[in-house]
Amino acid sequence: MRLSPFWLILLVLPPLLALFVLPPFGQRMVILAGIYGLMGLGYQLVFGQLGALNLAQGALFGLGAYAAALTAPILGPFALPVAILAAAIPAALVAGPLLRLQSHYFALATLALASLVNLSAVHAESLTGGANGLAGFATSLPRGPALLATVWVCLIAGVLLYAWLFEGKLGERARLLREAPLLAATLGIDGAAWRFVAFVVGGALAGLAGACSAALSGVVSPEATGFSIMVLCLTLVVLGGSRHPMGAVVGAALAVGLPELLRDLQGAWLLAYAVATLAVVLWAPEGLAGLIDRLRGARPAPAEPPGLPDVLPAVGGPKTLVLEGVGKRFGGVEALADVSLWLARGEVLGLIGANGSGKSTLLNVINALERADTGLIALDKLRIERLSTPEIARAGIARTFQTLALAGDSKMADLARAVATGAPFLLLDEPAAGAGDHERRELVGIIRRLRDAGRGVLIVDHDIELLSRVCDRLVCLDRGRVIASGRPADVRADPHVRASFLGLDGIAA
Amino acid sequence: MAYALVALGFVLALNAAGAVNFAHGDLVVLGGALASFVGLSIGLPAVLLLPLVAVAIGVVGIIAARIAILPLASRPPEATFVATIALAAIIEQSLTIAMAGAPRTAPALLGGGSFTIAGFVLGRQPLAIVVLGAVLVAAVWFLLERTQTGRRMRAVAADRYMARAVGIPVGRYVILSLALSGALAGVAGFLLGHQFLVAPTQGAGHMLKAYIAVALGGWGSVPGALLGALGIGLFETFAAARFGDAWASAALYICVLAVLALRPRGLFGEPVGRRA
Repeated sequence: MRLSPFWLILLVLPPLLALFVLPPFGQRMVILAGIYGLMGLGYQLVFGQLGALNLAQGALFGLGAYAAALTAPILGPFALPVAILAAAIPAALVAGPLLRLQSHYFALATLALASLVNLSAVHAESLTGGANGLAGFATSLPRGPALLATVWVCLIAGVLLYAWLFEGKLGERARLLREAPLLAATLGIDGAAWRFVAFVVGGALAGLAGACSAALSGVVSPEATGFSIMVLCLTLVVLGGSRHPMGAVVGAALAVGLPELLRDLQGAWLLAYAVATLAVVLWAPEGLAGLIDRLRGARPAPAEPPGLPDVLPAVGGPKTLVLEGVGKRFGGVEALADVSLWLARGEVLGLIGANGSGKSTLLNVINALERADTGLIALDKLRIERLSTPEIARAGIARTFQTLALAGDSKMADLARAVATGAPFLLLDEPAAGAGDHERRELVGIIRRLRDAGRGVLIVDHDIELLSRVCDRLVCLDRGRVIASGRPADVRADPHVRASFLGLDGIAA
Repeated sequence: MAYALVALGFVLALNAAGAVNFAHGDLVVLGGALASFVGLSIGLPAVLLLPLVAVAIGVVGIIAARIAILPLASRPPEATFVATIALAAIIEQSLTIAMAGAPRTAPALLGGGSFTIAGFVLGRQPLAIVVLGAVLVAAVWFLLERTQTGRRMRAVAADRYMARAVGIPVGRYVILSLALSGALAGVAGFLLGHQFLVAPTQGAGHMLKAYIAVALGGWGSVPGALLGALGIGLFETFAAARFGDAWASAALYICVLAVLALRPRGLFGEPVGRRA
């Protein structure tokens, strides 16, 4: 999503016009649009890229505004960095517990936090001037060209940086994190770190915007921390396009421009704005900026269909994956008990067992989607049983899933994604489920190529014929315990295995 | 008790829509505004006014379901959040324009004044609120637990896909839930509208309290939401009497944050894998 010349011109035009053509009143509007744009850009990081409904952005904006109003008489222009910190530091402090919350609790917690800030603004009268707010303070920057330049230079830099950052890989990762957090974790993307950075940087931008708005209006009242600013921020981002680099700018331009266009309608502009937002949510979820791109015919090229090269490059990294005495209980159910196994590079290990024997749990425990209660798991000498899922992914274990996580995804794409991480060890969860004969043959070919490229493959499946063909060894689980392991023919002949998995008469053998 | 009605309607909409209805607080305000409007201009007796308000806001609930909830059923819950926030803004702004900024009072249910029972002075209105609230809660309980319609509503709330698979017209029941939710919001707005003034900006506050009640009482649990609402009401009354309104609200928000920090899945947890 690099910014096209079309957008670049639209982005640079308003401040230039304001500087050289527009009367002071128009200048003021352009500054205000820039301020909203900054706040919205920060919001895009959290809401747009990560899909988290943060309802505290307005409060952070207000914190910035108050901080600037209080410190500007002493610090002058340096009140701006203070205001950024005044928003970013509280954001960083609350981020830890806040960002663990699920979507609706996250929204509630940020809303409660925002209400607290608003309440303090109204009632801490000695500091904030109470309901009347602060007025008549010396502003950090003189209104006019200096403020205009500051706001728009920051905004333009921010938009360009945003467009550059979220083009390509980083944007894809953000999408994965948003739409399939589990999958993202198994590919080594640390969601917690992402959310933290987005939340704090977004807050910092809100603080800067708040400070600039204090400089622009010369008044700060509790309204700056209120829900209506929050709603404005949310709607402008949604209206403009919550992920498009120009989304916040387009939304902000409308938020400032609409009231002027609809001046005859008095207060109705907010109404029109809300109606427009609802319409965009319903019919153009990518926002107006995205809609304009579509009308211009500038759409990103569709991704290449996934596939694997004929010869896979060898990868470096650890040589063995070892499990020793791994156990896992769910309440009273012993899902895994004292499971020990090892897998070397260039080897294919098949995991068999009846439904509920603990096969998927074992895969989940290896890459920490579930925590093992006992035992150790190691890549060479590196103990990994206490690492997080992304850390384990980066240490060299990739996996596929039984059920697909992304819309329009396929089993083959899932496999390709895991292979493409370059991880030396792959955990494949039922790759052949639902596959036809042709696909099964293809799968066998791929697994052999992976072995030839020196990857270690642990594969769970019900297709014992397929496993016998590709696996060097088989391990059979029964109610969480290893009951047999060895060469496929030996394991299939084992009486315990025949009893537990194949049925007493060995129907499938 | 009026909070309980707000929370009850909120949780019904929540379960049916599978996402928070941010416009719920504004439906409450709309109920209060309508009551004051019609009550003052026509002078309709409260007994007739109440069902009128309930039906009218119920219809608004249906409209909300049609435009902001059903079309977004297959999208992530955040889409519904945003759509209902936009809807809330629409209602709030329309009301601001219609009421021209002046807060109003809804008429009393049983007339003003108070009477004395065994030495306790009881206001008529608070008493009316408690009685009416209890009756409505009981009626909703009966509907949900004892009728086929209620069972289907709960089926849709519990698992939309399964409900569709067994032949329940899901869309219709979502609309029905929202209508009921709206009607309860309207009644609550009517009742609150006499106690306190009706102002267009109150919507967010009502919504937040219902949201808190539901989060504390157990996500999606109807009795939990009622308990949560009653708890909040009591807490606020006592805290406000001792420390003043501002501290009471602050303490409430801090409690919520503390609960969420310690129990990220809500006070009583929720079924794993549940959609927001």
